[in-house]
Amino acid sequence: MEIADELTIFDEELITKLNQLASNKIEYWDIKSGVGTGTNLDFTDQKSKEISSYEIRECGIRTFKNGGWGFTVIKDLSNNSIEKGFRNAIKLAHLTESLGKNKFTLKERDPLIKTFRINSQHNIDDINIEEKIDLVKYHEKISSTYSSAIKNTRTFYMDGHSNSVFINSFGSYIYQDLSVLRMFTLAYAQKDGILQRAVNSVGGIGGFEITKTEKASKLSEKTAKEAIELLDAKSPVGGKFTVIMDPKLTGTFIHEAFGHAAEADTVLNKESILEGKIGEKVAIEDITIYDDPTMGQGKKLNLPYELFGSYFVDDEGIPSQKTIIIKDGILNNYLHSLETSSRMDIAPNGHGRASSYTARPQVRMGITILEPKDWDVEEMIKDTKKGILCQDFQYGYTDPTTGNFQFKCKLSYKIENGERKELMRDVALSGMTLEVLNKISAIGNQDSFSFSDGMCGKGGQGVRVCDGGPFIRAEDITIGGLG
Amino acid sequence: MEDNTDIFSLGKYGLKLAQNKSSNMKCAEIFFGKNKYLNIEVEENSVKNSEIGTDRGVSIRIIDKRGSLGFAYTNKLDKKSIDKIVNLALKMMKAGTEDQDFKDLPPHYQNYPTVTGLFDDNLRNLEVEETNEDIEDIIKVCNDDDLAISQSANFVSHYYKKYIFNSNGLEVNGKETICTISSNITVKDKITGETSFGYDWQAERQKMKLNATKIAQNALEDAKRNLNRIKIKNMKAPIILTPFGVISLILSPISSAINGETFQYKRSFLVDKRDEIIGSKFLNVEDKALMNGLAGSSSFDGEGVPRKNKRILENGKFLNDGLLHNSYTAGKEGIENTGNASRGSYSSIPAIGPTNFIMNPGDQSKQEMIKDVREGIILDYTGDSPNIATGDFSGLILHGNLIINGEIKESLNETMVGINLLDLFSKIDAVSKEFKIFGAYCAPYVRIENVQIIGAAH
Repeated sequence: MEIADELTIFDEELITKLNQLASNKIEYWDIKSGVGTGTNLDFTDQKSKEISSYEIRECGIRTFKNGGWGFTVIKDLSNNSIEKGFRNAIKLAHLTESLGKNKFTLKERDPLIKTFRINSQHNIDDINIEEKIDLVKYHEKISSTYSSAIKNTRTFYMDGHSNSVFINSFGSYIYQDLSVLRMFTLAYAQKDGILQRAVNSVGGIGGFEITKTEKASKLSEKTAKEAIELLDAKSPVGGKFTVIMDPKLTGTFIHEAFGHAAEADTVLNKESILEGKIGEKVAIEDITIYDDPTMGQGKKLNLPYELFGSYFVDDEGIPSQKTIIIKDGILNNYLHSLETSSRMDIAPNGHGRASSYTARPQVRMGITILEPKDWDVEEMIKDTKKGILCQDFQYGYTDPTTGNFQFKCKLSYKIENGERKELMRDVALSGMTLEVLNKISAIGNQDSFSFSDGMCGKGGQGVRVCDGGPFIRAEDITIGGLG
Repeated sequence: MEDNTDIFSLGKYGLKLAQNKSSNMKCAEIFFGKNKYLNIEVEENSVKNSEIGTDRGVSIRIIDKRGSLGFAYTNKLDKKSIDKIVNLALKMMKAGTEDQDFKDLPPHYQNYPTVTGLFDDNLRNLEVEETNEDIEDIIKVCNDDDLAISQSANFVSHYYKKYIFNSNGLEVNGKETICTISSNITVKDKITGETSFGYDWQAERQKMKLNATKIAQNALEDAKRNLNRIKIKNMKAPIILTPFGVISLILSPISSAINGETFQYKRSFLVDKRDEIIGSKFLNVEDKALMNGLAGSSSFDGEGVPRKNKRILENGKFLNDGLLHNSYTAGKEGIENTGNASRGSYSSIPAIGPTNFIMNPGDQSKQEMIKDVREGIILDYTGDSPNIATGDFSGLILHGNLIINGEIKESLNETMVGINLLDLFSKIDAVSKEFKIFGAYCAPYVRIENVQIIGAAH
């Protein structure tokens, strides 16, 4: 088995030494360490603004005693530094424990000894820089020359290859060899003093093949087209409407307005609207929501790579798995980490994730999905007398304690008597999560299913996620506008 | 940590190596960063995690005569690693496109301004035990209150050292410290079961200036003020922005809109508006880098250029030189560099950012301003941000209250505001003498007359 040179330091001898240092002092410890290389390309108006490359190594050491955590971060992978960092982390766990009022233990979980590798069709390390630049130049050219109304374009490409080791006091040893790739295109269009912006991205776990799919090849064309379309879109008028959300927006809603409240650490911190509601009906019967970050889903969707939000194992050594959050309207389970699962006396479900080897895991989503049901999209639209069809999202945010959310969507169509009418831009939808989940009047079928990738932020840490679902229709949603 | 002499010799070695390996090189810059930090986390109103960390790294920018830039970084500080990143950066540079807008990296500077109060020796070797008192103070505020049910809080301190060398002879280094305390408190109304949260934070260069109790108390008051939420009907009414609200709807968008790069790409709602009146006479904004002891101050920018104080908006007029530049954007326009290059760490190329970004306070008392409002809103937090390209803002008032007959009343639920920023700026009709410093921002209370508010009540 090939192991990156710098990571061979995590051998039996070191692990034995660490267990000795830990014995009787702390109840649990883990170490995540990785070495990574990568390339970033940032082009604007067909010119390179930044072409960069990096090589870094990092290590995060976590310790636990009776409700208190300690954590040390080091960037030097030598026996001395690791041992010193470990001793410091033990001291930190003690200090935390001495001041902490919340006492609890961590239940012992099964160790995992495994190697996970991503086998890319086109390994990013084998693609030379000129070919990556040609790809970005290709996209820049398409969007820049799409129309004279396109005033400014930007294409951003990033790839990264990392090798990492995870070891802990349960006896796990997990080695991972992963690569990630993401590409963004932006376009600004201008006409008669109006300036509009469109952004699209594609990403996954894998290699250069991620840039070769139909969606990826057409990315810049789609972006330029959308920016132009938005020029003719009107400013929305505020009020209450029936709203049809496309899969992208459905995914955003499930993730932003609902998903964060299902994270068990948010629940324990009394910042969740779902606190104390396991077993209760929180949505209409047709609603089933799950989070499934397991690998192998790319294939099912005919993609030559793994989905952006997927992972083999979380950052606490627990394998990824499908968790049903809401089943037929009833709240079934939260998303858990080692800590939350121990405290709530339930099996961990692999949602303890960190943004890097030097950050502490928190409960995070992976791939959050609303299950499709039965409606045909065109029939859904025909069935709507007065409403708004909202497509794609720009961003969203939620007040977790109240469930008050807002999302900005990219493009919307007014619906009148079952027909799409005028185009509107910057439509902002807002509402209360639990109210909306009970005002869903139609859920689209499998044909209308789609998902999107993104980075989710929480506690200063960004992690890779996907979210998705079918088209859905919700009644009585507040729309904000400038008028 | 390695001592200084290693860094100086590594820096010179790197620049020389780049020069020797490329006949086509125009200029190069090498940046070293070192950081030590401490982070204490409180969750569920109890100490949860204590963390210490170190980071150090080096990056190199090499630009050739065509203007093509290659950049590489690593976090090992030895000759072999310098060799590696020089080779990587040269490879990137050779593959890049030409850029005729690139003029040069900054020159050698003889003098740098003195800015004091940026370093606290107590923070250099801060031990976790030294934070105990602040943490206990913050926890006590939540424990002692009947309505408070939980708190998340953080104490973070950083000690940074930076060294910048470039092939034009620029050479500068410095050290600074910063510590932050933040509190997020959840309260619950025992009768209605309604919950809400409140938030406050403080950043200082000196540890003794942090007031943990006050921050938690402010967060608690904020949370309580946010209970009793009601939906309101649509209305056109005055809005008073708290200092936090001013940061999100006035200061932060202006600082983004005057970013030299954003401006040059015409992605700013202020393009073509220089020398024009864009707001009422109450709108006075400055970018002041040389204030002793403030969180946003420094003597040199992310490229080693000496910092300055500058005026951006005066009595509502957007000044002709009220833009923020780094060496690239200033060179492109052929004007003097404003020293606003910002670099978060060695792992990124310099972008552009403000220093201490200040809206000057006015004459009125905040009490008077509120008393004058018969029916309106006080807005603290939106959770959203304006579109910098157009100036349009349409967002939820996540924390805001009704003002009725000069008194602050119920807080708002599902209420949105829609306005274009240029409209907002021209409608500023009062500015308080009270102000608050939030890290690198300083803002007073500001009243805007006549804004469209969209409510959820039928």
